[in-house]
Amino acid sequence: MWSVTVFGVFIAQMSEDPREVIRLSRDWLSVQEVVDSVSSSSCGAISVFIGTTREDQVDGRKVVGLEYEAYESMVQSEFSKLCDDIRARWPSVTHVCVHHRLGWVKVGEASVVMAISSPHRHDGQLAIQHCISQLKATVPIWKKEVYDTQEASWKVNSECSWSPGPDETSSESQNLK
Amino acid sequence: MTAQVIVLYFAKSAELSGLKEEELVAVPTPISSEDLWGLLLQKHPRLVALQGQVVLAVHQQYVAIGDQLVTLADGDEVAVVPPLSGG
Repeated sequence: MWSVTVFGVFIAQMSEDPREVIRLSRDWLSVQEVVDSVSSSSCGAISVFIGTTREDQVDGRKVVGLEYEAYESMVQSEFSKLCDDIRARWPSVTHVCVHHRLGWVKVGEASVVMAISSPHRHDGQLAIQHCISQLKATVPIWKKEVYDTQEASWKVNSECSWSPGPDETSSESQNLK
Repeated sequence: MTAQVIVLYFAKSAELSGLKEEELVAVPTPISSEDLWGLLLQKHPRLVALQGQVVLAVHQQYVAIGDQLVTLADGDEVAVVPPLSGG
Protein backbone atom coordinates (compact mmCIF):
# COMPACT_ATOMS: atom_id res chain seq x y z
CA MET A 1 0.00 0.00 0.00
CA TRP A 2 1.29 3.37 -0.96
CA SER A 3 1.41 6.04 1.60
CA VAL A 4 2.23 9.37 0.18
CA THR A 5 2.73 12.31 2.38
CA VAL A 6 2.64 15.52 0.54
CA PHE A 7 4.36 18.45 2.05
CA GLY A 8 2.94 21.56 0.61
CA VAL A 9 3.42 25.13 1.42
CA PHE A 10 0.36 27.17 0.69
CA ILE A 11 1.53 30.38 -0.94
CA ALA A 12 -1.02 33.13 -0.74
CA GLN A 13 -1.61 34.58 -4.19
CA MET A 14 -0.10 38.01 -3.66
CA SER A 15 0.22 39.07 -7.30
CA GLU A 16 -2.88 40.54 -8.86
CA ASP A 17 -4.29 39.64 -12.26
CA PRO A 18 -2.31 41.39 -14.99
CA ARG A 19 -4.00 44.63 -16.01
CA GLU A 20 -3.96 46.54 -19.26
CA VAL A 21 -5.79 49.78 -19.75
CA ILE A 22 -5.92 52.35 -22.51
CA ARG A 23 -7.85 55.51 -21.77
CA LEU A 24 -8.61 58.32 -24.22
CA SER A 25 -9.11 61.65 -22.48
CA ARG A 26 -9.93 65.22 -23.49
CA ASP A 27 -8.37 66.49 -20.26
CA TRP A 28 -4.68 66.94 -19.46
CA LEU A 29 -3.01 63.69 -18.46
CA SER A 30 -1.75 62.82 -15.00
CA VAL A 31 1.53 60.93 -15.03
CA GLN A 32 1.00 59.98 -11.38
CA GLU A 33 -2.35 58.38 -12.16
CA VAL A 34 -0.84 56.25 -14.92
CA VAL A 35 2.08 55.22 -12.70
CA ASP A 36 -0.23 54.40 -9.79
CA SER A 37 -2.39 52.16 -11.96
CA VAL A 38 0.53 49.86 -12.82
CA SER A 39 2.30 49.75 -9.48
CA SER A 40 2.42 46.37 -7.79
CA SER A 41 4.18 44.88 -4.80
CA SER A 42 5.58 42.19 -7.11
CA CYS A 43 7.23 44.77 -9.36
CA GLY A 44 10.57 46.42 -8.76
CA ALA A 45 10.39 48.57 -11.87
CA ILE A 46 7.94 50.95 -13.50
CA SER A 47 9.00 52.07 -16.96
CA VAL A 48 7.40 55.26 -18.23
CA PHE A 49 7.19 57.06 -21.57
CA ILE A 50 5.67 60.51 -21.98
CA GLY A 51 5.08 61.96 -25.45
CA THR A 52 4.81 65.74 -25.45
CA THR A 53 3.68 68.24 -28.04
CA ARG A 54 6.72 69.88 -29.57
CA GLU A 55 6.83 73.46 -30.86
CA ASP A 56 8.05 72.47 -34.31
CA GLN A 57 8.87 74.87 -37.10
CA VAL A 58 7.66 73.65 -40.48
CA ASP A 59 8.35 75.81 -43.55
CA GLY A 60 8.56 78.95 -41.44
CA ARG A 61 5.28 78.14 -39.67
CA LYS A 62 5.24 77.41 -35.95
CA VAL A 63 3.18 74.57 -34.44
CA VAL A 64 0.79 75.94 -31.83
CA GLY A 65 -0.92 72.67 -30.99
CA LEU A 66 -2.24 69.29 -32.12
CA GLU A 67 -5.77 68.06 -32.73
CA TYR A 68 -6.24 64.33 -32.05
CA GLU A 69 -9.04 62.02 -33.16
CA ALA A 70 -9.52 58.26 -32.84
CA TYR A 71 -11.57 55.28 -33.99
CA GLU A 72 -12.36 54.58 -30.38
CA SER A 73 -13.78 51.06 -30.48
CA MET A 74 -10.90 49.87 -32.62
CA VAL A 75 -8.36 51.56 -30.32
CA GLN A 76 -9.43 49.08 -27.66
CA SER A 77 -9.11 46.00 -29.86
CA GLU A 78 -5.74 47.06 -31.31
CA PHE A 79 -4.42 47.90 -27.84
CA SER A 80 -5.46 44.44 -26.67
CA LYS A 81 -3.43 42.86 -29.49
CA LEU A 82 -0.50 45.15 -28.67
CA CYS A 83 -0.54 43.98 -25.04
CA ASP A 84 -0.76 40.32 -26.11
CA ASP A 85 2.34 40.94 -28.24
CA ILE A 86 4.18 42.61 -25.33
CA ARG A 87 3.32 39.77 -22.97
CA ALA A 88 4.44 37.18 -25.50
CA ARG A 89 7.82 38.89 -25.91
CA TRP A 90 8.33 39.78 -22.22
CA PRO A 91 6.25 37.41 -20.09
CA SER A 92 7.39 39.06 -16.87
CA VAL A 93 5.55 42.30 -17.75
CA THR A 94 2.84 42.78 -15.15
CA HIS A 95 0.62 45.80 -15.82
CA VAL A 96 0.34 48.14 -18.82
CA CYS A 97 -1.42 51.50 -18.78
CA VAL A 98 -1.71 54.07 -21.57
CA HIS A 99 -3.53 57.40 -21.37
CA HIS A 100 -3.82 59.29 -24.65
CA ARG A 101 -5.28 62.71 -25.38
CA LEU A 102 -8.15 63.40 -27.74
CA GLY A 103 -9.06 66.81 -29.09
CA TRP A 104 -6.87 69.87 -28.70
CA VAL A 105 -3.41 69.56 -27.11
CA LYS A 106 -1.32 72.72 -26.69
CA VAL A 107 2.42 72.78 -27.29
CA GLY A 108 4.23 71.60 -24.17
CA GLU A 109 1.42 69.35 -22.93
CA ALA A 110 1.68 65.56 -22.79
CA SER A 111 -0.25 63.84 -25.56
CA VAL A 112 0.46 60.30 -24.34
CA VAL A 113 1.60 58.81 -21.05
CA MET A 114 2.32 55.12 -20.74
CA ALA A 115 3.67 52.98 -17.92
CA ILE A 116 4.64 49.32 -17.67
CA SER A 117 5.49 47.48 -14.47
CA SER A 118 7.76 44.46 -14.27
CA PRO A 119 9.66 42.62 -11.54
CA HIS A 120 12.98 43.80 -12.97
CA ARG A 121 13.78 46.79 -15.12
CA HIS A 122 15.23 45.15 -18.24
CA ASP A 123 11.98 43.73 -19.60
CA GLY A 124 10.01 46.83 -18.70
CA GLN A 125 12.43 49.16 -20.48
CA LEU A 126 12.31 47.07 -23.66
CA ALA A 127 8.54 46.67 -23.43
CA ILE A 128 7.88 50.41 -23.11
CA GLN A 129 9.93 51.14 -26.25
CA HIS A 130 8.03 48.48 -28.13
CA CYS A 131 4.73 49.79 -26.78
CA ILE A 132 5.17 53.31 -28.17
CA SER A 133 6.49 52.03 -31.52
CA GLN A 134 3.60 49.63 -31.92
CA LEU A 135 1.04 52.20 -30.81
CA LYS A 136 2.31 54.49 -33.57
CA ALA A 137 2.15 51.64 -36.08
CA THR A 138 -1.23 50.09 -35.31
CA VAL A 139 -3.56 52.00 -32.96
CA PRO A 140 -6.13 54.06 -34.94
CA ILE A 141 -5.39 57.55 -33.65
CA TRP A 142 -4.58 60.57 -35.86
CA LYS A 143 -3.15 63.99 -35.16
CA LYS A 144 -3.30 67.22 -37.09
CA GLU A 145 -0.67 69.89 -36.55
CA VAL A 146 -2.10 73.38 -36.30
CA TYR A 147 0.22 76.29 -37.15
CA ASP A 148 0.34 79.92 -36.11
CA THR A 149 -0.82 80.74 -39.65
CA GLN A 150 -4.06 78.88 -38.83
CA GLU A 151 -3.21 76.26 -41.42
CA ALA A 152 -3.20 72.61 -40.41
CA SER A 153 -1.84 69.33 -41.70
CA TRP A 154 -2.44 65.69 -40.81
CA LYS A 155 0.71 63.92 -39.64
CA VAL A 156 1.75 60.43 -40.68
CA ASN A 157 3.81 58.03 -38.54
CA SER A 158 6.74 56.42 -40.34
CA GLU A 159 5.96 53.31 -38.21
CA CYS A 160 2.58 52.94 -39.99
CA SER A 161 2.90 50.52 -42.89
CA TRP A 162 0.56 52.45 -45.18
CA SER A 163 2.19 55.84 -44.68
CA PRO A 164 3.72 57.24 -47.86
CA GLY A 165 7.44 56.43 -48.22
CA PRO A 166 10.09 59.15 -48.00
CA ASP A 167 10.18 59.50 -51.79
CA GLU A 168 6.41 59.50 -52.26
CA THR A 169 4.68 62.83 -52.22
CA SER A 170 2.21 63.49 -49.52
CA SER A 171 0.45 66.74 -48.99
CA GLU A 172 1.17 66.11 -45.31
CA SER A 173 4.52 65.72 -43.61
CA GLN A 174 6.17 62.78 -41.86
CA ASN A 175 6.10 62.54 -38.09
CA LEU A 176 9.56 61.83 -36.71
CA LYS A 177 8.98 62.03 -32.95
CA MET B 1 -26.13 39.34 -52.04
CA THR B 2 -25.92 42.92 -50.86
CA ALA B 3 -25.53 44.61 -47.50
CA GLN B 4 -26.17 48.00 -45.98
CA VAL B 5 -23.10 49.23 -44.16
CA ILE B 6 -22.00 52.28 -42.21
CA VAL B 7 -18.87 53.95 -43.55
CA LEU B 8 -16.79 55.91 -41.03
CA TYR B 9 -14.41 58.59 -42.25
CA PHE B 10 -11.42 59.62 -40.14
CA ALA B 11 -8.84 62.38 -40.25
CA LYS B 12 -7.95 63.46 -43.80
CA SER B 13 -10.63 61.20 -45.32
CA ALA B 14 -13.32 63.03 -43.33
CA GLU B 15 -12.06 66.35 -44.71
CA LEU B 16 -11.96 65.01 -48.26
CA SER B 17 -15.44 63.46 -48.15
CA GLY B 18 -16.94 66.18 -45.99
CA LEU B 19 -18.46 63.48 -43.79
CA LYS B 20 -17.77 61.65 -40.52
CA GLU B 21 -20.08 58.80 -41.44
CA GLU B 22 -22.67 57.70 -43.98
CA GLU B 23 -24.81 54.72 -44.83
CA LEU B 24 -23.93 52.79 -47.97
CA VAL B 25 -26.78 50.67 -49.31
CA ALA B 26 -26.76 47.67 -51.64
CA VAL B 27 -23.04 46.97 -51.28
CA PRO B 28 -22.28 43.66 -53.02
CA THR B 29 -20.95 40.96 -50.69
CA PRO B 30 -18.51 39.40 -50.68
CA ILE B 31 -16.52 42.23 -52.23
CA SER B 32 -12.82 42.88 -52.72
CA SER B 33 -11.35 45.73 -50.69
CA GLU B 34 -10.29 47.29 -53.99
CA ASP B 35 -13.89 47.31 -55.27
CA LEU B 36 -15.13 48.63 -51.95
CA TRP B 37 -12.59 51.47 -52.11
CA GLY B 38 -13.74 52.03 -55.70
CA LEU B 39 -17.33 52.50 -54.51
CA LEU B 40 -16.18 55.12 -52.02
CA LEU B 41 -14.12 56.90 -54.68
CA GLN B 42 -17.18 57.03 -56.91
CA LYS B 43 -19.17 58.74 -54.18
CA HIS B 44 -16.34 61.02 -53.04
CA PRO B 45 -13.79 61.52 -55.85
CA ARG B 46 -11.62 63.75 -53.65
CA LEU B 47 -10.67 60.62 -51.68
CA VAL B 48 -8.28 59.85 -54.54
CA ALA B 49 -5.77 62.09 -52.73
CA LEU B 50 -5.34 59.14 -50.31
CA GLN B 51 -4.73 56.55 -53.07
CA GLY B 52 -1.83 54.33 -52.02
CA GLN B 53 -1.83 55.79 -48.51
CA VAL B 54 -4.98 54.30 -47.05
CA VAL B 55 -6.40 51.04 -45.73
CA LEU B 56 -9.92 50.08 -44.73
CA ALA B 57 -11.02 48.57 -41.44
CA VAL B 58 -13.81 46.00 -41.66
CA HIS B 59 -15.01 44.35 -38.45
CA GLN B 60 -12.23 46.33 -36.78
CA GLN B 61 -9.52 44.53 -38.74
CA TYR B 62 -7.27 46.44 -41.12
CA VAL B 63 -7.69 45.40 -44.75
CA ALA B 64 -5.22 46.59 -47.38
CA ILE B 65 -6.70 47.83 -50.66
CA GLY B 66 -6.38 44.88 -53.00
CA ASP B 67 -8.00 41.62 -53.98
CA GLN B 68 -8.73 40.45 -50.43
CA LEU B 69 -12.43 39.59 -50.17
CA VAL B 70 -14.50 40.88 -47.29
CA THR B 71 -17.95 39.61 -46.31
CA LEU B 72 -20.34 42.31 -45.21
CA ALA B 73 -23.58 42.08 -43.25
CA ASP B 74 -26.22 44.73 -42.60
CA GLY B 75 -25.04 47.22 -40.03
CA ASP B 76 -21.33 46.43 -40.40
CA GLU B 77 -18.87 49.29 -39.96
CA VAL B 78 -16.33 50.01 -42.66
CA ALA B 79 -13.75 52.62 -41.72
CA VAL B 80 -11.52 54.61 -44.05
CA VAL B 81 -8.11 54.65 -42.36
CA PRO B 82 -5.50 57.20 -43.50
CA PRO B 83 -1.91 56.77 -42.22
CA LEU B 84 -1.91 56.62 -38.42
CA SER B 85 -0.34 59.33 -36.29
CA GLY B 86 -1.04 58.46 -32.68
CA GLY B 87 1.48 58.91 -29.89
